[in-house]
Amino acid sequence: MFDVLSKLSWFFKKYWKQYTIAVVLLMIASGLEVVPPYLLGSIIDLLTAGEMTPALLTKYILIFVCIIIGGYTLNFVWQFRLFEGAINLEKILRRKLMQHFLRMTPTFYEKNRTGDLMARATNDLNAVSMTAGFGIMTLIDSTIYMGFIIFAMGYMISWKLTFFAMLPVPIMAILIQYLGKIVHERYMKAQDAFGELNDSVLESVAGVRVVRAYVQEKKDEANFAEMSEIVYEKNMHTAKINALFGPITKVGTGISYVVALGYGAHLVAIEAMTVGQLVTFNVYLGLAVWPIFAIGELINVMQQGNASLDRVQETLNYEADVRNIANPQTIATPNAIGFDDLTFQYPLSQVKNLQRISLSLKKGQTLGIVGKTGAGKTTFLRQLLREYPSGEGQLSIDGVDIAAQTKEQLLDWIGYVPQDHVLFSRTIRENILFGKEDATQSELHQAIRSAYFEKDLKILPMGLETLVGEKGVSLSGGQKQRVSIARALIKDPEILMLDDSLSAVDAKTEARIIENIRRERQDKTTIITTHRLSGIQHADLIIVLDEGQIVEQGTHEQLLSQQGWYKEQFDRQQLEGGAS
Amino acid sequence: MSTSQRLTRYAMYFKKTILLGLFFLTIAVFTELVGPFIAKHIIDNYMTIGHIELKPITWLLLVYLLLAIATAVLRYFMYIYLQMGANRVVQKLRKDVFEHIQTLPIQYFDNLPAGKIVARVTNDTEAVRNLYVQVLSNFVTSFISIVGVYIALFILNWKMALLALTMIPVVYLWMILYRKVASKYNDVIRTKIADINAMINESIQGMTIIQAFRREQQMTKEFDDMNNEHYAYERKLLFLDSATSFNLVNTLRLIMFTVFIFYFSTQSFTATEVISAGTLYAFVDYLTRLFNPITNIVNQFSQLERSLVAGKRVFEVLDTNGEPVAEKSMPRYKGNVVFEDVSFAYKNDDYVLKNLSFEAHQGETIALVGHTGSGKSSIMNLLFRFYDPSIGKITIDGIDITSVPRQTMREHMGIVLQDPYLFTGTIASNVSLNNPKISREKIEASLKAVGGERVLANLPDGYDEPVIEKGSTLSSGQRQLISFARALAFDPAILILDEATSNIDTETEEIIQHAMDVLKKGRTTFIIAHRLSTIKNADRILVLDRGKIVERGTHDELLAQGGIYEKMYQMQANSLQ
Repeated sequence: MFDVLSKLSWFFKKYWKQYTIAVVLLMIASGLEVVPPYLLGSIIDLLTAGEMTPALLTKYILIFVCIIIGGYTLNFVWQFRLFEGAINLEKILRRKLMQHFLRMTPTFYEKNRTGDLMARATNDLNAVSMTAGFGIMTLIDSTIYMGFIIFAMGYMISWKLTFFAMLPVPIMAILIQYLGKIVHERYMKAQDAFGELNDSVLESVAGVRVVRAYVQEKKDEANFAEMSEIVYEKNMHTAKINALFGPITKVGTGISYVVALGYGAHLVAIEAMTVGQLVTFNVYLGLAVWPIFAIGELINVMQQGNASLDRVQETLNYEADVRNIANPQTIATPNAIGFDDLTFQYPLSQVKNLQRISLSLKKGQTLGIVGKTGAGKTTFLRQLLREYPSGEGQLSIDGVDIAAQTKEQLLDWIGYVPQDHVLFSRTIRENILFGKEDATQSELHQAIRSAYFEKDLKILPMGLETLVGEKGVSLSGGQKQRVSIARALIKDPEILMLDDSLSAVDAKTEARIIENIRRERQDKTTIITTHRLSGIQHADLIIVLDEGQIVEQGTHEQLLSQQGWYKEQFDRQQLEGGAS
Repeated sequence: MSTSQRLTRYAMYFKKTILLGLFFLTIAVFTELVGPFIAKHIIDNYMTIGHIELKPITWLLLVYLLLAIATAVLRYFMYIYLQMGANRVVQKLRKDVFEHIQTLPIQYFDNLPAGKIVARVTNDTEAVRNLYVQVLSNFVTSFISIVGVYIALFILNWKMALLALTMIPVVYLWMILYRKVASKYNDVIRTKIADINAMINESIQGMTIIQAFRREQQMTKEFDDMNNEHYAYERKLLFLDSATSFNLVNTLRLIMFTVFIFYFSTQSFTATEVISAGTLYAFVDYLTRLFNPITNIVNQFSQLERSLVAGKRVFEVLDTNGEPVAEKSMPRYKGNVVFEDVSFAYKNDDYVLKNLSFEAHQGETIALVGHTGSGKSSIMNLLFRFYDPSIGKITIDGIDITSVPRQTMREHMGIVLQDPYLFTGTIASNVSLNNPKISREKIEASLKAVGGERVLANLPDGYDEPVIEKGSTLSSGQRQLISFARALAFDPAILILDEATSNIDTETEEIIQHAMDVLKKGRTTFIIAHRLSTIKNADRILVLDRGKIVERGTHDELLAQGGIYEKMYQMQANSLQ
């Protein structure tokens, strides 16, 4: 359970000064806490005996003023230092995670769902940071502070009285701990019910057109009412246990007070104790309530923190499966891309996803890739992004295996337009500049023009400054595709890869964009995958993929004469339209 | 009305439960505060040196213990009742929001991401729940406890109690100032952490792009900026908290004790009568109790802020104008649809449909053809009354559709969307939408009629195959068929079909063509068409261009005309699949 602290030792070592100050001051402050009740007891004894003098009063008041000032300062410093450590730890770990995410390759993201990774970056980080602040505080409160209180009660007043008065404490501590576990279980169930409620609302909202079209509103409401009742019941189920904590403490401390008063009366009668000491003792009993709770809190915080830290660490320990080699070769510009008998399999895949691919592409050429869904078109493109460890065979640029080059050099040449259009929650301008940070105004406009996005910009509320994504306006599929094309074009890359990137734009627009790309990229390499044959008819080489293999290749005309899948597909697209 | 006032009004719906809880609380505070009096009594009357009166002490202690137990029991019920009230209030709020959302125009859903709307119903109401459950119950219990302590202090010694009263303005002032400053910090912290998490989430989703464009450093920098700012404000808040909160409460208590010592000591110098030990004991005890509730209140401030913001958002939804859901039904109409000079704009004067007039007779199939943005989907939106025409009218069997409640009109309409929406459940439940009027036989007959036997019946559980996550485990063809069967089972007089553009293999394509033929039979059907085979079979084709019908007629007529359709047809021949 306390492993978490040793696992975090790198952090404590780095900030050892801060933590030493915080912990030492916290201990001193804890010790100081038990002084005022003691003084109060003495003063009460003086007062009841009528022995209080102005001189004594001045002395006591002075002591109190010192304690007030000293205590305030101590408490301020340790609290600030200790919890500063906690938020600092959270900041550091969050940064580590983010940097790690930025280094990770797709395999990592295939193995970890976004939701899980997010949970690590949020809930788990919170839990870990709790250990470094609140955890340490409860650790000291439930041990040192509790020790001070018990010592003060026993040493300064009576060990016997302390023993009997503290009898209910262990029982209370065990009960609280036990109930805490039940509450946690029930709370999790309540959270699950809430999650289900959330999912069902999401369905109603996302499917609102269907709900409305089939007049399901009332039924939907009834369903929601039922689910909200379940959530209510689960919450109350938790509340029923939660409600016990206060009363248990009340009864427990009640018994302690009864013991203190009863046995105390006896001790006063036999002159083993003064009335003032009894008052002091009762105040101590009140102080002891928190440390008892702190034990439970400590166990929770440390257990959760430990589990969370393990999860975070597991994520951080994952090593990227693609790394640069020691002595990479540099190439100025890529003049030829060569696939030589390349076979590739995704790390999590059961079958070969690309098999024995061989072809070569010279600078300035256009390659078209077609084939059924799942034939390996995207996989083919992704080879050039070097997102996975190399397969068998070789993929080379200017005769040098890409594994012998740095990933950075390779990626610098590439402009990639993915199938699922990824835009970020920022303005359209910033999204396009993502392709080239320092692009000039004219480059920006050129890219927009080439991607045929000018007209759309006029309709958008803020033009180029329109926010897109979750916080801004939602663009249509076609608009998103064209923004991502502009993002790739602005880079004016040596190698442009369009992965079925025109599926959501109409034929006319597609034709224009293709034309722009052909004109502007005459001496650059372009690779296009598509379902519509019209988009690649102009290519210098077209390959047809099926189950990861090249089944046909050639120019448009050559493929038409081959009587294969390409011809069949072309005829079908022609037939559908051509013959009437 | 302010958010807090409206929240209070909501609480009034369950005032019985809540008041019962508060009643228990008040007695509990009373029974609890009697304790020190008993102790005072024992100390003053029975605690004498050299002599102990066992019997009265035992009795008094027994009463003390019984009171403690009574307090415990009362507090238990107080907690339960307050929780019950709070949870019921939120349940009501939640149901109201959900119900209200059902009455909101489709526009609302088109303009906001689904996640945000869902958050209003669930997360925001959950934050309001915390307000009632934690914040309010803490406020109320603390308030009553403080009042109770003051009453006890006044009974003991009114002069000292008056002195203690000076704490109230000090604490009040502190709370006002604290809340003012802290809420500013909390606000920044809350939005920053939301931004940070949104950024991490987005980066994970778009990692391929970040890496492909080598923007890792830019992202790191942006992230660091946000992360550091978040840290800076957390630190500011921590500074404030360390200087106030529990530390300040502690200090105030000690100051109060100092005043107490000073007051009673100076009293003892002048007064003839000596203050009893019991009174002093009780004072110390009460003063200690006075300050715990204050810490409780201060600890609730940030949650209070969060809850009020969330509550405001919830009420914003409730204030959005909606139209009640009608439950009236009407006899099935024939399905003669007429558009009379219809114009429509989603906003302002930006007309997407301009002076549209056309008729569709019972049983006819009308194909709508045109580029993206030509107005095809808007026609569907109008017919279904997802939106209403800005100018002109639409009639069905001669009845103006805006003269009948939306739900009543939709009763005899069916829809098949381009991306068929499936709900969590089974294939069968997605066909019937759990409508009791649709029997199992009808579900199976509908699925069979659209050709579902070949495609769906061989799934492990057949028609009872579970549907999860919008049907992600099913192919798009399978989803289409389920959505066809759904429309068939509801047997509408008018059917609207938004044809899918996505690629489907030849075999499924055939099945779907067949299903469409089955479905169209005897109904007035509007198809937003993408496949030429569909268009060719239509009784009439409406060619739309920028919101106007530019050509109309059958396929052959239009080809013969040699107009836009002919041109479009030639050009799209390749791309239409």
